[in-house]
Amino acid sequence: MKVQTAFALAAAVLVVLALAPLFIPDYWTGVLLGMTGYVTLATAWALFSGPTRYVSLATVAFFGVGAYTVAVLNEAMPYPMVLLCAAGIGMALALVVGLSTLRLAGVYFVIFTFGLAELVRQVVSWWEVNVTYTMGRYVFLPFEGRHIYWQLLALAAVTLLISWAIGRSRLGLALKAVGDDETVAAHAGVDVTRIKLLLFVISATIITLVGAIQAPRWTYIEPSIVFNPTVSFMTLIMALLGGAMRLWGPLVGAVPLFLLFEWLSVSFPDHFSIILGLLFILIVFVMPNGVLAKLEDLRKGGRA
Amino acid sequence: MSAQLEISNLNKRFGGLVAVNDVSFTLRPGEVVGLLGPNGSGKTTVMNMISGALPSDGGQVRVGGVDITRMKPHRVAKHGVARTFQLVRPLPTLSVAENVLLSLAFGRKRHWGREARDLAEEKLAFVGLAGRGEEQVGNLTYIDQKRLEMARALASEPELLLLDEWLAGLNPSELRIGIDLVQHLQGQGMTVLLVEHIMEAVRALCSRCIVMSAGEVIAEGESGEVLQRPAVIKAYLGDDHA
Repeated sequence: MKVQTAFALAAAVLVVLALAPLFIPDYWTGVLLGMTGYVTLATAWALFSGPTRYVSLATVAFFGVGAYTVAVLNEAMPYPMVLLCAAGIGMALALVVGLSTLRLAGVYFVIFTFGLAELVRQVVSWWEVNVTYTMGRYVFLPFEGRHIYWQLLALAAVTLLISWAIGRSRLGLALKAVGDDETVAAHAGVDVTRIKLLLFVISATIITLVGAIQAPRWTYIEPSIVFNPTVSFMTLIMALLGGAMRLWGPLVGAVPLFLLFEWLSVSFPDHFSIILGLLFILIVFVMPNGVLAKLEDLRKGGRA
Repeated sequence: MSAQLEISNLNKRFGGLVAVNDVSFTLRPGEVVGLLGPNGSGKTTVMNMISGALPSDGGQVRVGGVDITRMKPHRVAKHGVARTFQLVRPLPTLSVAENVLLSLAFGRKRHWGREARDLAEEKLAFVGLAGRGEEQVGNLTYIDQKRLEMARALASEPELLLLDEWLAGLNPSELRIGIDLVQHLQGQGMTVLLVEHIMEAVRALCSRCIVMSAGEVIAEGESGEVLQRPAVIKAYLGDDHA
């Protein structure tokens, strides 16, 4: 009964959000679009990195690959096929990366994923300059902001649904166990390598799709735009702020931070990075488990 | 009757150090056997090679006739081998019940849902943690963490249980409870390999003992008799006492 109420509520909110572009100015549709993109990124990131605590900075590698795939293929085949190709490429890249890196632990994994994003950017740049002789590509797709927004909204809903389903499955339990102690999880019968790989691939595929869907928004795409490492850091900090171990955590973090970053980048374009860094430090120190966990602690404290 | 656990010519080297040298022994079904020896004699290394935590450098481990030597830990668990860890390792982000549910969900029979929750409560009740499933593991006392460790191992429904100093660090009354629990398992026909330093527990539980020193088996046989042998006393206490 409680689950049904929650679903009805979520569906109602979804309908309101879907209808919003018909009533609000285009500027605000753009804001909603960006926000939905980050909600999806942060939720997808937390699917893998939340419970396992493998902090990935490879978000923008997959995001960029998605965007670039659309830029390369948008005139070669119908749009749904382009999205499918992007998802396939993201999935394949995640498999290769996952198989080669998931045995790295802790800070080595973080550094590797950060390096990976840079590597992918350099390889794409090199390829464009030396093989295809094009630097920068145009995306001509007949989409307005609201069309992109609706696609992202659907992806966000699916991502939250996946996160919810995993959270109540034995897979979700195994992921939390892996995050706590891989050796104990393995001895309890969990195929640790396989479930880490599975979740990494699911997470990376969604992230790739976010990049692919957002690509038409830029019209002009080049590696420095779509492989901007800030995307990885913002995704990470949003998920951490809300709480990466909870279903709604990344969303709760993404909405206010996206609005804050929008305002900051307009009002203080030169100091944006500094403020981002300070905020990062503040969040990790003050509430390492996120806002939702902090609220729960406060509530428990109040009762005791 | 065929052996429940059959170890033949097991070897392990760490760099130049020979940690386990040509170790062989067998456990019959339903037997509780002590694996003894001074610190550093290779007992835990043998345990780790049985459970798949460490690859061996040679030799064979068979459980119920199946060769599990090269299996990863999660496959060994599915072949009916469960273990506890020398230092308790409860999973802190999971509740007490979830710690047990994990082994039920990924053990031999893959239980889930209501049935799994009932079984988890059953396992918790067996070790003396009835009704405490919702608690955080961080709030458990040391003996209760040991109980949870046991419940988690039992939840994968093993035929062979490896207890790595599970009784260490308990006070005398807790020790009594721990020994009773293992005896209870023995009554149910569980095969147990017990790495232990507490002689009181070994005498109470183990019909047979295997004693290791410097990576080799130096004595094997009926507990009371083996513990009297000069070679065993020498290994534990040094030449003067032999």
